[in-house]
Amino acid sequence: MKMLLDPGLDLTLRPMRYPDFYERYRAAIRNTWTVEEVDLGNDLPDLATLSAGERHLVNRLVAFFATGDTIVANNLVLNLYRHINSPEARLYLSRQLFEEAVHVQFYLTLLDTYLPDDASRAEAFAAVENIPSIARKAQFCFRWIDSVFEMTALSDVEDRRRFLLNLICFAACIEGLFFYGAFAYVYWLRSRGLLDGLATGTNWVFRDESMHMEFAFAVVDIVRAEEPSLFDEQMGKAVTVMLEEAVEAELAFAEDLCGAGLPGMTTADMREYLQYVADQRLARLGLPAHYGSRNPFPFMALQDVQELANFFERRVTAYQVAVGGSVSLDEDF
Amino acid sequence: MTSTISAPSFADAIAQAARDLPHTDPEAIAGPVLAGIWPGATEAELRMRAIETAAALVAEEPSYSRLAARLLAVHVAQEAATQGVMSFPDAVRAGHDLGLLADDLAKFVAVNEGELAALIDDTADERFEYFGLRTVYDRYLLRHPTTRKVLETPQHFLLRVACGLMGEVGSAGTAGATLPGNLDDVAQLYRILSRLAYLPSSPTLFNAGARRPQLSSCFLLDSPRDELDSVYERYAQIARLSKYAGGIGVSWSRIRSRGSLIRGTNGLSNGIVPWLRTLDASVAAVNQGGRRKGAACVYLETWHADIDEFLQLRDSTGDESRRTHNLHLANWVPDEFMRRVEADTTWSLFDPKDVPELVDLWGPAFDVAYRGAEAAQKATKTVMARELYGRMMRTLAQTGNGWMTFKDAANRTCNQTARPGNTVHLSNLCTEILEVTSDGETAVCNLGSVNLAAHLNADGVDWAGLRDTVRVAVRVLDRTIDLSYYPTGEASGANNRWRPIGLGVMGLADVFFALKLDFDSPEALALSTRIAEEIALSAYDASADLAATLGVHPSYADTRAAQGILHLDHWASAQPVRPDAWAALREKVSRTGLRNSLLIAIAPTATIASIAGCAECIEPPVANVFKRETLSGEFLQVNRYLVEELKTRGLWTAALRERIVRAEGSIAEIAEIPAELRSRFRTAWELPQRALIDLAAARAPYIDQSQSLNLFMASPEIGKLSSMYAYAWRKGLKTTYYLRSRPATAIAKTVAAAPTSLIKLDVENPEVCEACQ
Repeated sequence: MKMLLDPGLDLTLRPMRYPDFYERYRAAIRNTWTVEEVDLGNDLPDLATLSAGERHLVNRLVAFFATGDTIVANNLVLNLYRHINSPEARLYLSRQLFEEAVHVQFYLTLLDTYLPDDASRAEAFAAVENIPSIARKAQFCFRWIDSVFEMTALSDVEDRRRFLLNLICFAACIEGLFFYGAFAYVYWLRSRGLLDGLATGTNWVFRDESMHMEFAFAVVDIVRAEEPSLFDEQMGKAVTVMLEEAVEAELAFAEDLCGAGLPGMTTADMREYLQYVADQRLARLGLPAHYGSRNPFPFMALQDVQELANFFERRVTAYQVAVGGSVSLDEDF
Repeated sequence: MTSTISAPSFADAIAQAARDLPHTDPEAIAGPVLAGIWPGATEAELRMRAIETAAALVAEEPSYSRLAARLLAVHVAQEAATQGVMSFPDAVRAGHDLGLLADDLAKFVAVNEGELAALIDDTADERFEYFGLRTVYDRYLLRHPTTRKVLETPQHFLLRVACGLMGEVGSAGTAGATLPGNLDDVAQLYRILSRLAYLPSSPTLFNAGARRPQLSSCFLLDSPRDELDSVYERYAQIARLSKYAGGIGVSWSRIRSRGSLIRGTNGLSNGIVPWLRTLDASVAAVNQGGRRKGAACVYLETWHADIDEFLQLRDSTGDESRRTHNLHLANWVPDEFMRRVEADTTWSLFDPKDVPELVDLWGPAFDVAYRGAEAAQKATKTVMARELYGRMMRTLAQTGNGWMTFKDAANRTCNQTARPGNTVHLSNLCTEILEVTSDGETAVCNLGSVNLAAHLNADGVDWAGLRDTVRVAVRVLDRTIDLSYYPTGEASGANNRWRPIGLGVMGLADVFFALKLDFDSPEALALSTRIAEEIALSAYDASADLAATLGVHPSYADTRAAQGILHLDHWASAQPVRPDAWAALREKVSRTGLRNSLLIAIAPTATIASIAGCAECIEPPVANVFKRETLSGEFLQVNRYLVEELKTRGLWTAALRERIVRAEGSIAEIAEIPAELRSRFRTAWELPQRALIDLAAARAPYIDQSQSLNLFMASPEIGKLSSMYAYAWRKGLKTTYYLRSRPATAIAKTVAAAPTSLIKLDVENPEVCEACQ
């Protein structure tokens, strides 16, 4: 029987082995959004009202966003697309790549809007090398990209384990923890009525990232079902250690951002939150909770619940792009 | 100011606010807040954090909303005190000294200081849920222009509105002179406001008593004439109207279509899209009150040759130079089009330059002219009616926009269209207003809504109380016409001639829940229709009384009412419960006439329903747990009627709550909950949409303007949509509003630890109009 991580470039869509991937691809298309729909116009007056500490936090956040999604896109092309051998999964990955590009464009637009001069823009991009708290996170990502970069095919069990760790790293640690950390700062600002444009775009990025993470976990589920011996106890430990490292890297970022503490946002609360999120990722992989922490941020608990917006205030994010069917006058509704 | 925080006294303050709320745990608030303390934290900042923490617990226990509201009330009072405001007269003095409030208001308050201060009901803040009070605090209270600190408390604000509407005021508005007013009227209005039994629309709440009191919600402009100067004149008029927070409806049906010859230059027209792009930019540039952009809806008749490009204006893909992301779109649909959809025949598209008469015609006259134009081969293009209808449905599904509003029903039943030449050309930004317009007349509407949830007693609906509230509301709305400042002469002229008002309702779903009625039951239909009938009877009666003392509106002779025809008479199917009262009303109107040409309109009430803590207008809730996003953050809302029912049955547990959140606020699939509750608490997504249309059609005879009727379909599909809107048309609805749908993917639940293989449906985000409340 063919398996998902078998080397090759499979072309067969009928019969389809993994219809779930195809459905995810179609659902993602229905959620198309464009950067032009985000209105950053009202953020500028807000920026002027920020305290020095808050402004520092926002600048750091922008610097992180400047390169974050490009790194994810690189790994997608260089590693994931090569090794996940199913044309329907590659359809999803192609779509994900487009979404990463939109995110890169969004954060570039944000950066150009928030940082008016060329020097500070260049500085933001140099942050992956110059600013320790961002460099540390970037190094973490590069290390995991490199861990599989030389592999041209997943020929044995060890190759496949290395690949799975890379996949889990990008889903659980990078999209699922680094980005979730960054989202928390954005939602914290919004809970105080600040930077509505950033929050709007982030909402949409958040929605996309959630789906990317779910897709990656779905791949993990299938690989585990196909090759039960791969994900052994040792692998579980490796994942836990990796998440621990990610939490520490993100915490160093938090210390840089929060300093001695900002109104409603402290390193201590951020630690609780990151640990709580890490436990969620472990649970999704069927692993025991490592921290047992609770979510301290009321504004993040709200991300689970249905949303109502006011069109004078925000643009609606919910409408679907592809609609099927043809006119008929006597259907049930 | 850095006061040192005493942990015990902070915890005491929380415990004090929780005094009679046995299901809340003050420690659950104080503990985490004190754990997250930061350097330099002030008591006020910690209190705000405590308020947010309490608000996040609302889904666990609804009484945390009361706790958060009480803490917020303390916070607001302390903030006002820092500005020297300790009483209502202080508040008005402060606002007047800073140039925010009008001289005549300040004078009225100064003269009646003692009496007015005594009116303040100190217990009234207890009626607010947290989100309501927070909305008032964030958005409605007067603030110091530079410090941004509030200058009034919520009760000062409501009494200020009451004085600004019913006191001896008026010289700041169009009236130009002070209108007589008295304390009894002020007290009467303040009483229903502080009981949250009635609320005027947001522009009135924002501006009553202000130096330039623009109190109107909606403005409707006829299409510019098909010439350059007229187009630019409309832009300017729209900009002036939206500067003062009015919502705009504008028709564009007279403007020539793409490819039409421009004689002056011998060039060809680019059609309506470039003009609408300019309108889009202009609307976005006009910033209302410093923070919000203006909002406008463009109406186009279905025969206009640019209809295809019009329907694509809101698409998120395609050529950006042909998109208008700030404009809302509505179709102004003639019956002839719907008949051809039914018959599956062709439909002709015209350049308005070739058929200028069509815009002003409706009913049989339109049908004759339209067919005549076809016979004369004036059509630019002919399509299958169903093909175009399908594209209209696709636009609704993809953007929620492209509202279906029906030209013939709107004109046939309108009190203002008795004379040929008086034509309704469009509805407004929220599709509940239908008034005639012309080049020189911009229609206006002042709105307010009765909170039905505040009119319940042991026997059900408190009919006597409802009638009283309606009578007060009609007098207030009528007076608002004289008090309001109109940014353009076209608006003030039209409003003074026709004096239309739009009295609506909110909290219908609350009534159904409180009386244990399913939304789609025959009992709910009968009750909802009876409510509409009672409101119409009292409103017309009040308007007749006003006519007796103040005179009929100047254009009364041009109305159907003057010929003895009331709106109800257009509806053969209507079966009034109180025929005797209608007979008496008819007799009275024949003697007195009416002060107002139109009286009833059901607006969306998004913001004022939040203030009142009830369900929006006539809508079922979209979820039993949901969050609301506003500029000041996100707020959790929970269906307290459901929680009550579940508590009574011992079912309200943490595990069940989590399941409801995971099911996007639906309880349909939760087997432990009794079937009766699962039926009653179906969400808007789960109710048959036919029932919403039937409810609207049954109340339509009593709604002389229209209703902002949203329809809901989680995963829209063209076949279902086309059947649904054809049904709405056949039932005689004049207008419909958004099609609500849901996103195909959603944010991963942070509370959900367990793996889920299904794609989760997140919320749909109803957009809501603030101008229409």
